[in-house]
Amino acid sequence: MKILLEKLIINYPYFAAVILFIIGALTVLTRSNLFKKLIGINIMESGIFLMFVAAGNIRGGAVPILEEGSSRSVYINPLPSALMLTGIVVSVSVTAFALALILRLYKEYGTTDARRIAEIRSGVLKK
Amino acid sequence: MMTVITDNLPVFVVIAPLFVAFILPTFARRLRLVEGLVIIANTLWIAGAAYLASIVLSQNGIPITYALGGWQAPWGIELKAGSLGALFILIIAGVSLMVSFFARNNLTEEVGSYERVARFYVLILLLGGALAGMAVTNDLFNVYVLVEIATLSCCGMVSARKHARAAEAAFTYLILATLGSILVMGGIGFIYIITGHLNMAFASQELGRVWQNSPHVVWMAFSFFLVGFGVKAAVFPLHVWLPDAHSTAPAPASAILSGLAVKGYLICLLKILYNVFGQTLMQQYAVQRILVIVGTLTIMAGSILALTQDELKRRLAFSTVAQVGYIFFGFSLINTKGLSGALFYLVSHAVIKSTLFLAAGAMISATGEGKISGLAGIGRKMPITVAAFTVASLGLIGIPLFSGFIGKWYLLLGSMEAGSVIPAVVIIAGSVLCAAYLLPVIRVAYFEPTPEVDVKDPGLSQKVALIVLAAAVVILGILPGPFMELANMAATELLVLK
Repeated sequence: MKILLEKLIINYPYFAAVILFIIGALTVLTRSNLFKKLIGINIMESGIFLMFVAAGNIRGGAVPILEEGSSRSVYINPLPSALMLTGIVVSVSVTAFALALILRLYKEYGTTDARRIAEIRSGVLKK
Repeated sequence: MMTVITDNLPVFVVIAPLFVAFILPTFARRLRLVEGLVIIANTLWIAGAAYLASIVLSQNGIPITYALGGWQAPWGIELKAGSLGALFILIIAGVSLMVSFFARNNLTEEVGSYERVARFYVLILLLGGALAGMAVTNDLFNVYVLVEIATLSCCGMVSARKHARAAEAAFTYLILATLGSILVMGGIGFIYIITGHLNMAFASQELGRVWQNSPHVVWMAFSFFLVGFGVKAAVFPLHVWLPDAHSTAPAPASAILSGLAVKGYLICLLKILYNVFGQTLMQQYAVQRILVIVGTLTIMAGSILALTQDELKRRLAFSTVAQVGYIFFGFSLINTKGLSGALFYLVSHAVIKSTLFLAAGAMISATGEGKISGLAGIGRKMPITVAAFTVASLGLIGIPLFSGFIGKWYLLLGSMEAGSVIPAVVIIAGSVLCAAYLLPVIRVAYFEPTPEVDVKDPGLSQKVALIVLAAAVVILGILPGPFMELANMAATELLVLK
């Protein structure tokens, strides 16, 4: 038990990533407000970003820029951070597109609640 | 000169559509020019793809590798155009050429204005480039980026029509597909954390050595990839977005979404399962058992749900779910026959389903009727369209002499070789159900009395596209030749690696 706790404390960024991921997934799946779904997606993505960035980190490592005459020998791994830059760009474009769609749905139905939209639509279909 | 062309082919087939996609919006006001450019780009693309396929065939499947930006393998992004990539790119380029023929003079009423048509073509080309990239890439993070490009352009196509339903379907699709890509990214993260590589070949080597140190991470990576690509490829319990998305999109978009986009994710899954994890790990974690169960469930559920639909396009969309099940099941068969059957089925379904959706689109826009019962007697008024629909249906059912038969036959042989009897029964049952949901459409179209209404016949380019695609279904069924050979080579290559 003590070893498990110690592992958790040492690897706290991963622990935080898992918690973020679960919060995000729950928000996406249980909330019917479209904005909240979108925010849930973003929180899930943050969880994965955190996992990647934590994987590249080395304790006590320096920023990976080589300087002449520098005595540092340990640098953090820059690759995961660079990858997550791409990931953030993708996530921003997904968010922008989703917001545009929500705007169109709001103009059409006058609500941003997925359940209300389904009700309105089935009413429309019955008529 | 020749070597310059050959060396750069793997990147050319990805860049060609992407490049044209980004210059199209500048000509948005001149629709003729846009359509012409798209067709020229597609022709160049298919020429490149055919040349690539012929080189790979003559080299007996030895892939052409290309290091992007000159950075060599473990550091840079590597493209590897082997038999799998050549086969898939050939089919993407062919189907998109035909779809862009079909879309000529035809899109404005479905999408709205001229500018929107140009933007729609941008999305089609972006999707094509992303799918071609998935076929040739050998880098895991590149897979994620391409998957995202494909997802966003698919969502754009679904929302192309000015209809509230379209926006709703696109939103559902966007949320679920992004959920899928997040899972895929997570899976890539797990692999990167334990192996330190993003290149598939290097990651696979390293994984073979270190997987025993962290078995749970491998387990998580497997499940993330399976669920992530499962959502995107619409396997049974995760298919909820597909019928809405594929049936509300304009006809050319549904053809591309159902025929090609779903297949891209399946190819990615196949590459990750066989090239990164390898069959030893798949057997260790019983992944092929999951694939069998999910595949057979998807075949049955998709077919039965398709039977209950009245709308033609929704019925076809559910049929796509069922056919994805066949391919998914084929991936579980760790033998050459089963895998090459799955790959050939993938190719033939791409052709068949795009024919079906294009013909359905032509019928629906002619009659203004989305229900199957509204198509009574249309076979006498639109003979070519309904004939193409009939040929494609026979192909999908798997009648001999049509392309679906060969894929199903090899899948059956493969499942017999793997000693699984129930899936073999399910394959045949799926065919029977397929006949049960497609033949009534043909019966209504040919044998019901014709109501006295004017039906707008499709234009020449639409007819040409339908005839070429229907001919491809028959030709693939009679002379599968080079396609079957490429599929065979790809299957052998997937099995030999590790």
